[in-house]
Amino acid sequence: MAWLRFAVVALVLFCGSSLAAPDTINPSVRVKQADRLVDLASQLVKINTQLVFENTGSDAARYVLVALDESHANTLAYINAILVEPNKGGVKPLKVEETTVQNHEKSSNRFYRIDLKTPLTTGKSVTITLECIHTHHLEPFPREITQKEKQLVKYTGNHYIVSPYTVVKQKTTVNLSARNIESYTKLKPVTQTDMSLNYGPYENIPPFSEDPMLIHCENNTPFLTVRNLLRQIEVSHWGNIAIEETVDLEHTGAILKGSFSRYEYQRESGSGLSSVKNFKTILPASATDAYYRDDIGNISTSNMRVLSDAVELNLRPRFPLFGGWKTHYVVGYNVPSYEYLYNSGDQYILKIRFIDHIFDDMIVDDAVTRIILPEGCHNIQVKSPYPIDRLPDSLHFTYLDTKGRPVIVLHKENLIEHHIQDLEISYSFPRILMLQEPLLLIVALFLLFVLVIIYVRLDFSISKDEASENKLRIAGFVEKILSHQLKRINAYDAYDEQLNKLKQVKDVNSFNSSLRTITNDLKNETQAIADLQAKLKTDGPESAEKVAELQKLDKALKELLNQQQTLYVEKLIPAKINRTAFVEADGPLSKKKADIREKITALVKSLQN
Amino acid sequence: MGFLGLNSHVLRMTRDKQESLLTLSILSLAAVLSFATRLFSVLRYESVIHEFDPYFNYRTTKYLAEEGFYNFHNWFDDRAWYPLGRIIGGTIYPGLMVTSAALFRLMWLLNITIDIRNVCVFLAPFFSSLTTIVTYRLTKELWDSGAGLVAAVMISIVPGYISRSVAGSYDNEGIAIFCMLLTYYMWIKAVKTGTIYWATLAALSYFYMVSSWGGYVFLINLIPLHVLVLMLTGRFSHRIYSAYSTLYCVGTLLSMQVSFVGFQPIQTSEHMLALGVFGLCQIYAFVEYLKSKLTKEDFDILFKALVWGIAALSLLFGAVLTLSGKIAPWTGRFYSLLDPSYAKNNIPIIASVSEHQPTSWSSFYFDLQIMVFLFPTGLYFCFSKLTDANIFIILYGVTSIYFAGVMVRLMLVLAPVMCILSGIAVSAMLTIYMRQVDPSKNVDKKVKKFDNFSMKSEIATAFVGMITFLLISYTFHCTWVTSEAYSSPSIVLSARSQDGSRVLFDDFREAYYWLKMNTPEDAKVMSWWDYGYQITAMANRTILVDNNTWNNTHISRVGQAMASTEEKAYEIMQELDVDYVLVIFGGVIGYSSDDINKFLWMVRIGGSTESGSHIKETDYYSPSGEFRVDKEGSPTLLNCLMYKMCYYRFGQQYTDMGRPAGWDRVRGAEIGNKDFELDVLEEAYTTDHWLVRIYKVKNMRNRGI
Repeated sequence: MAWLRFAVVALVLFCGSSLAAPDTINPSVRVKQADRLVDLASQLVKINTQLVFENTGSDAARYVLVALDESHANTLAYINAILVEPNKGGVKPLKVEETTVQNHEKSSNRFYRIDLKTPLTTGKSVTITLECIHTHHLEPFPREITQKEKQLVKYTGNHYIVSPYTVVKQKTTVNLSARNIESYTKLKPVTQTDMSLNYGPYENIPPFSEDPMLIHCENNTPFLTVRNLLRQIEVSHWGNIAIEETVDLEHTGAILKGSFSRYEYQRESGSGLSSVKNFKTILPASATDAYYRDDIGNISTSNMRVLSDAVELNLRPRFPLFGGWKTHYVVGYNVPSYEYLYNSGDQYILKIRFIDHIFDDMIVDDAVTRIILPEGCHNIQVKSPYPIDRLPDSLHFTYLDTKGRPVIVLHKENLIEHHIQDLEISYSFPRILMLQEPLLLIVALFLLFVLVIIYVRLDFSISKDEASENKLRIAGFVEKILSHQLKRINAYDAYDEQLNKLKQVKDVNSFNSSLRTITNDLKNETQAIADLQAKLKTDGPESAEKVAELQKLDKALKELLNQQQTLYVEKLIPAKINRTAFVEADGPLSKKKADIREKITALVKSLQN
Repeated sequence: MGFLGLNSHVLRMTRDKQESLLTLSILSLAAVLSFATRLFSVLRYESVIHEFDPYFNYRTTKYLAEEGFYNFHNWFDDRAWYPLGRIIGGTIYPGLMVTSAALFRLMWLLNITIDIRNVCVFLAPFFSSLTTIVTYRLTKELWDSGAGLVAAVMISIVPGYISRSVAGSYDNEGIAIFCMLLTYYMWIKAVKTGTIYWATLAALSYFYMVSSWGGYVFLINLIPLHVLVLMLTGRFSHRIYSAYSTLYCVGTLLSMQVSFVGFQPIQTSEHMLALGVFGLCQIYAFVEYLKSKLTKEDFDILFKALVWGIAALSLLFGAVLTLSGKIAPWTGRFYSLLDPSYAKNNIPIIASVSEHQPTSWSSFYFDLQIMVFLFPTGLYFCFSKLTDANIFIILYGVTSIYFAGVMVRLMLVLAPVMCILSGIAVSAMLTIYMRQVDPSKNVDKKVKKFDNFSMKSEIATAFVGMITFLLISYTFHCTWVTSEAYSSPSIVLSARSQDGSRVLFDDFREAYYWLKMNTPEDAKVMSWWDYGYQITAMANRTILVDNNTWNNTHISRVGQAMASTEEKAYEIMQELDVDYVLVIFGGVIGYSSDDINKFLWMVRIGGSTESGSHIKETDYYSPSGEFRVDKEGSPTLLNCLMYKMCYYRFGQQYTDMGRPAGWDRVRGAEIGNKDFELDVLEEAYTTDHWLVRIYKVKNMRNRGI
């Protein structure tokens, strides 16, 4: 506890010291010219101010200050300053930082310091464009409208630019989304043209001058707010990045009063002007397999168009969104990882957007992005283009994971389209780990097969089943006998072949030599079968009988072949017998042989079954 | 070449190996087929839960998977039956939810991150694969493995079973058929062997069956009936004694553990046959024992005395228990099983459910096709080779065909036995005829005596060809029926547009999602009970009545509100604390099962209780006695709440070309009451195609103006 207190004190001291030197308003700087463009054409308030700062004093100014009044400061989502150098032909972004100003600590205004690249010396001037975008600044008025009524909004601002410096000359243009203006404050000179209001020029306005501006006008553009956005990015090193966005959407315009009439909504064109029927979400050009669903299934009303530089998703919620109505949906898609993931050796860098486009002029109140990296990543570092809270990392388990995938959770509030910028996440990943998942599968399947083999091959029963064991044993013997028989048949085939050769070539010597090996084979096989037959006799007398028969047939066949051999060697080769007599003697022998062979085949078949 | 190589390899295997290879491959193919054929709806639509009851099962399963078994068991659901609520744990059969939650947990344990919805969607197809295998085992026990294979292949695609087990049809029946056949298989095994081992396994699978479907009552009556018939035919033996006694004792004790069943197995009449047969078994065995110990004369005297004594005693006992209400009277559903007209005359809420209607003849053919003809053949073969096991299947066949005739949904119980008997028939016939196709190969000497037949081979070939043709036509029929009739999720409707493309009507989900997103968390929604489960599951809002129609008066009250005029309905709605009212209206797209077509049931059910005695069905008919919504219709109908909610502002809407505004495409009429405003309700939301209309009940005015 004491330690904690010490830490807190140290932290406060540290913070205090960094803010110890508040900025001061340089009295010699003044704004020579200010042109302000207030864009109220959407649900956002976009204020672009071109300021020409001039240094009339002697000290060079290293920075200039800008200020926002309280209501604008509270709704500010994005601020950016650009240095305009027309003669050098370009624009340069400048660093903008919120700051405190001496003697103005209690002020409700908020100050931002713009650091200049080169100090502003005496008599010089610099042109800076300040871009501020405010969310939820337009207030629907009246708060509740019926289906038939148009949506009116109220803008409250200041006729003068809130500036810490004297403004020599200023003017303001307000752009609207419709011609219909209920009322606006008229600080002269003011003119109204078509869809815009022009205030000014006002001259020599002292610092922090205030004069409330109020514009009440029609605005039927979609007032949609993403209340919560959960963006989940799942990176796979196998070439895919899966992105899924869960969106809580609310219509934050004027609330629907009274009943909703489908009849009027379908028939009358002026009905439900401020309602949102559909909107477009733009996905990366390489996005595939997009889906659009919610808790209760697929939302069938959507269209996907593939353009050359993007995929345009035309999303239609299940029901049109009127003021105050909410919906909740999930959009997901895949992108190939080579467009976002870069590596050198084991070092990887993922460059991916923190948030992506949901609809034009979007407001995201609260965004959480979860980046799920492959299992085994470490040394994870996040580099973001603007300050983002990093919540504690967590682990994610999915298919074939063992120790879990690291998840980086990032959070930020109040975002708009300008925040669609790349994050840079670097990490190291040993490439050998890519093999982990396939190996896991292989081992699992292998173990499964081994288990099955063990289960099938081994006998786990306590009691012995004599009959089936006997059957198995017989089957084993018969199988062996059959394999010997097959060899024997092959030997006979060889025998026949040799005889044929002898008939043609009449080379007795070679015949004799080959015959020796064949007879040897035959003898061996016959002996093997006889041995097996003896063993078989005890277990399977039936099969043994068949084998005995087989042996008998075999003997007969052997006998026949011997006769044939004698006929050939002793009669035909020495030519003791003429052609016809030989054929007469040989024919019946061959026929008998064929008969016996057929019988043997039948017997073998019956043994097989 | 590869095939030839394989072929020669196969030929070299022993017959046993060939047979097991064939059996395994046929069975696994059948199992895969039975899974695959049920995926039509997933491929055509999406992985979504179907119909009504499955949504409740899905919701409870989700609760079980998230909260654990004890919380599930003690779950008091305040989202349904407002203001009564419902004790979920004690009023459902938890088998289905426990099964899928267990599967879900197991998969997550293996890091397979599957969604609970997908587990629910694919559970029924998975279990039908298992059913295929069990059917094979059962038929193998009854006849032989050939018949088993035919039966397995048949059950894998039989429409009667598919109708309840397509992917997404997440209902008790999906797993109950598996449990039932498993129990039968174990029972047959027990009867054949007489071992306690098989009888206990039978009891365990019976427990699984009890925990998953109310249809277990069929099972617990069929098995005693089997025992009784075996006794009467003199086939009773020690094997059957030990099998049945074990099954009954263990099974009953286990079944009483299911809290929805509780003490029913020893109290209600439906279970009395089992108890009676159990007693009879003991007496029979005792008598047999005495017979073996006593002389014949002594035994006869004792026997007569005992019979009369026991008969009188049990009658007295039964009467006392029935009168004192210990044995519950038979519930309506069972009366309607025995007397099909009972429900129609007495309980409108049972009669109003389409699946409780008697089966039409055509649906037998539609669901079973050739099995309608093969069934008697199978019975014939069973009779011709009568065994203890065959008697069982005969009993099962005969009783289930009766029940299937009484109630459409019991077609499900009939389908397996049809497959088994048809499998036996096909297999037995083919065994006879296949031998004759090539008589030269036939070395069987017994067949020699039929040698006087001429053209044996040709006739046999023709017969085999015919059977093949029938089986092929069966396959085509089954696939067609599955694809056309049983694969629509009914939560998403689809139609063909004029250019042939498919149009989806996703209005139900549109409305439910609107309710979920844009009404207060505690809003009470009144709708007809059909949509109760869907509203609680998809919109997560409190409802008054749902598909678990346990409280007739409550449903009746809702019916009265729908059938009354606005002022009267407002009183009822205030009494029931209703915030929103939801009606289904098909008049724009021509969806015929909408609330106007169901309206007469609301009137009947509304009028069936005391508080609704002023609602008379006849008031809603036109003078000529018809139910019509046009100008001729009865003024009571044209001014009741349901009519007004369905047709509010419909009078200006044009639906069909060349028809006047307010043309109802379902009823084919121009509505009779067009220009009216609602006093107590305001339109809160109407879906794209007007299919679902939601109204908000206005708050009471501050001052009574």
